[in-house]
Amino acid sequence: MSVSQTAPGPPPPPAPPAPELVPIAARTVGAVKVYGRGETAVRALDGISADFVSHQFTAIMGASGSGKSTLLHCLAGLDRLTSGQTFIAGYELGRLTDRQLTLLRREKVGFIFQSLNLVPTLNALDNIVLPLTIAGRKPEPGVVEGVVQMTGLADRLKHRPGELSGGQQQRVAAARALVSRPEIIFADEPTGNLDSKAGGELLAFLRKAVDTLGQTIVIVTHDPFAASHADRVIFLADGRVVQEMRSPTADSILAVVRHLGD
Amino acid sequence: MFKVSLRSLLSHKLRLALTATAIILGVTFVAGTLVLTDTIRNTFEGVLSNVDKGVAVQVKGATPATPSGRLLNQNLPLPESVLARVQKVSGVADAVGVVERSGVSLLQNGQVVGATDHAAMLGLNWVSDSQLSSFELTSGTAPRSADEVVINARAATNGHLAVGQQIQVSFEASAAQPFVISGIATFGGQASIATEGFALFTLPTAESLLEANNTFDVIDVSAQSGVTDLQLRDRVASALSGTGVQVQTGAQAASETEQNAVTDINEFIGTPLLVFAFVAVFVGSFLIANTFSILVAQRTQELALLRALGATRGQVFTEVITEAALTGVLASLVGFLLGILVADGLIHLVGSSAKLSVQPDALITSVLVGTIITVIAAALPARRATRIAPVAALREAQPEFQGLPRVRIACGLLLFLGGTAGLLQSLFTATATSGPNLSVLGLSVLGIFLGTALLAPILVRPVATVLGWPARFRGAPGRLAGENARRNPRRTALTSAALMIGLALVTAVAVITDSVEASINQALDGTVKAQLVVIAEGSGAFSPEVASTLRADPRLTDVSEIRGSDVLVGDIETNVIGLDTSNVSRIFSFSMTQGSAASIATGDTTIVDSTEAATENIHLGSVVTMTFPNGDKVTMTVGGIYTPDALISGYLVSLGTLNPHLTTARDSDVALNPAPGVSVASADASMLNDLRAYPQLSGLTKTQYKNLISAGLNTFLNLIYVLLGLAIIIAVVGIVNTLALSVLERTRELGLLRALGMTRGQTREMVAWESVIIALLGAVLGLAVGAGLGIALVSSLHSDGISQTAVPGNNLILYAVAAALFGIIASIFPAIRASRVDILRAVTSE
Repeated sequence: MSVSQTAPGPPPPPAPPAPELVPIAARTVGAVKVYGRGETAVRALDGISADFVSHQFTAIMGASGSGKSTLLHCLAGLDRLTSGQTFIAGYELGRLTDRQLTLLRREKVGFIFQSLNLVPTLNALDNIVLPLTIAGRKPEPGVVEGVVQMTGLADRLKHRPGELSGGQQQRVAAARALVSRPEIIFADEPTGNLDSKAGGELLAFLRKAVDTLGQTIVIVTHDPFAASHADRVIFLADGRVVQEMRSPTADSILAVVRHLGD
Repeated sequence: MFKVSLRSLLSHKLRLALTATAIILGVTFVAGTLVLTDTIRNTFEGVLSNVDKGVAVQVKGATPATPSGRLLNQNLPLPESVLARVQKVSGVADAVGVVERSGVSLLQNGQVVGATDHAAMLGLNWVSDSQLSSFELTSGTAPRSADEVVINARAATNGHLAVGQQIQVSFEASAAQPFVISGIATFGGQASIATEGFALFTLPTAESLLEANNTFDVIDVSAQSGVTDLQLRDRVASALSGTGVQVQTGAQAASETEQNAVTDINEFIGTPLLVFAFVAVFVGSFLIANTFSILVAQRTQELALLRALGATRGQVFTEVITEAALTGVLASLVGFLLGILVADGLIHLVGSSAKLSVQPDALITSVLVGTIITVIAAALPARRATRIAPVAALREAQPEFQGLPRVRIACGLLLFLGGTAGLLQSLFTATATSGPNLSVLGLSVLGIFLGTALLAPILVRPVATVLGWPARFRGAPGRLAGENARRNPRRTALTSAALMIGLALVTAVAVITDSVEASINQALDGTVKAQLVVIAEGSGAFSPEVASTLRADPRLTDVSEIRGSDVLVGDIETNVIGLDTSNVSRIFSFSMTQGSAASIATGDTTIVDSTEAATENIHLGSVVTMTFPNGDKVTMTVGGIYTPDALISGYLVSLGTLNPHLTTARDSDVALNPAPGVSVASADASMLNDLRAYPQLSGLTKTQYKNLISAGLNTFLNLIYVLLGLAIIIAVVGIVNTLALSVLERTRELGLLRALGMTRGQTREMVAWESVIIALLGAVLGLAVGAGLGIALVSSLHSDGISQTAVPGNNLILYAVAAALFGIIASIFPAIRASRVDILRAVTSE
């Protein structure tokens, strides 16, 4: 699916992405985000550069105030950097207008938030297809059914969010993120409000989406167990990348977290 | 708790402003009305206190009475001999006779000049005794010769007339006579008497011009020093005993005039305006109730926290009510100040220089009305606030999908059905003379509105589904708008209720005016056979000379005078119409149910409409007694009964029967036809040529007459639109209010939608659609209730000749389209706010 199908779409990439050995879904270069001015200024992001490889599950970890959520928001086009660049599918977000950014989010990005992910007036199925409805698109045949099957919510589709458990709600949100087959899905503490069983189910679902559908997922979490589902973990502290880990386990993550906490 | 209320109020300025708007608008109308009527009254009283100070005693003619003592509200003229008798009473310093009759027109170059709104002026004789006269010359001299006239200052200004100028004067369209303006005068310092102009003549001129036939309308008497007004009144009364004349002290007469003036002001200005003010306040109360409901819902956590911290239910109730009362007082004060400005503007608009009269009563009433309405409207939401459990403080607020309590449905049905029953009862048991019981009628309509508002939430889902259906073609925004309108039926219903009331009243008035117009047109096409008609502008009576002039025209025929008189039939005050029997069959075609129309040609015979006959139990051959203003009591035989229509109803007699009982012969209309072989157009041209000497008269074809009536009704309808426009504005403010608070409440949801790729444009469209659905819901309910009210009212008038029921479909479609447009306008501000929601703050939990 090409963005140019939706007029007026984002402009063509400022510079054609250099041929990569591995395809990159999102990238940030020298990302700086400063809140406030003068003496009260806080550097939430202090020059972060990172690539998010397609078809990979990446977790961003860090203590409160490390800048992990800010990074996610800037990567996802929900917030703008003070300086530096972020790219999604080759588009530099900083050069897009609000409308272009909105259309880019609609076409290329999926979201799962910590809570209140769903529109309360719509039933589960309508929530799942909402990004398509907003874009005025018809879902591709079989896609919705496939995603619904993966979530195991087939018998709850006509229920409104208020009638679903927290775990079910988050799975609906995950299905919604998947249904438009976005370039990348961003999840901000998706298990933050769930008990461990529901959280485990959601993470297993996300893992499966990467493995079977080739989806790219980036999550922000402070939970080593959640991060252990990822292919790669990026550790932030004081707005900088301090460590990276591939094929993590909960124990290895916990060790790093303890070390960083010192 | 007062501190909490005050803090809460001040910390939500937007909320305060939105709630206050409704109260301010309503109170502005109330205050404006009160200040306006106070000012008019004050001006009038000011004038009256300046006039007739030297009048110790005033004598007026007798009032004809029926055998049972009921008076016809009209005084007989006083014979000149009465003046001589009064002058001889000991203690009388001076007594003067005054001829005082309305119907004078000033003419110049064939045009009426100096008049306001074609209204005729008052004609009087100049009284030189300054003790007994309230007219003061501002320039020139009093009339000294038969061809001199003094006119009022306003007429001089309006007509650009000056002392020494030639002018023509006509009384009730009699042949115009040449006059010279000898002076310009004021009455009690005012340029006119209220809005009426005046012309002063010498006594002989006044008597002949105003056709007083050696009579006076009033005799003013001054007292010698040492004689009190009361003593003199008793002496004059005993001197005139047995004549039936009325003798009052000057003060009594003045207070009677003042009473009548105040009654008139209340009847024609005060009461209608207060009715509209009431509508505005009533509509506003829905808005206030809705705002407080939403606020209580949004403050659930805060109020629950207060409860958790130990506040009692009573304290929570007091907190909400106190906030309402504070808002009410503040908004009422602002509304009162705006009302003064509105009254001032209106007074300037009509060109009056009256000094604004701001009474403490008006302030107290305005503030009380505003505050009490606010508190009443906030009472239900406040009660709901007391039911918030302390534990709600710990829960995440979830938008609720409310059901409707049975009690509410029962109350709604009870009010709606009770209101409908009351309406029908009051309309259809009304008699021709007493009319419907207005307080029952008003309460019934109120009940219907409240009942509909209570039941409306049931209708929200189906109506929003139907109305939201086209919106669905607009994709996600339309779809979500429909869901949003349905998610809280009470809120949607209450918001649309304000528009419902405004539109229902407009619709009812439109149905009535349209039905009246259709009925008049039907009467013109059916009963009236005459092709042409002459009427006086400002619906005055005119001299029979006009008919004589027209009769002399060979291109015209069937010239037929129509003449009316007040009359008491039995004990009922009504009027009788005299018809020219020589050609009545070519002028009118009555649909007789009994007897014949031709029977009136026989002397002292009347025909009567079937409604009057039924209420008064009159049959063919019955005998009725008519008491005329000149005191004559005549026994008439009923020779026929006809079906009334919108133009003709009541008692009809021949001119021959009527004329002997009239003081002056005056026509109200002249109906005529083109002479054989003459086209209507050329007959019309000929008639207009004949009427050139009478600029105060209009000659019309049937079509022109229809257009004139239609234009008059449209003017009335436009006035209603303007007055009810305020209710519509309040309703629109209500939609703005609800949407703005809903947008605030749905910040997270809007942020989520924006994050998922909804553009700002789509977000605005979503809010606009919701607004349109709310507005259309109000429109659908309003049109239905209004059409029902209108049809019920018209049906109750069927027997009075309003035989046609016309529902102006085009207007109704126009109202619905206008409502949708108002919906879009109302959505602008909330939609912009919605589209500017900060996505990050909405979606992050921290």
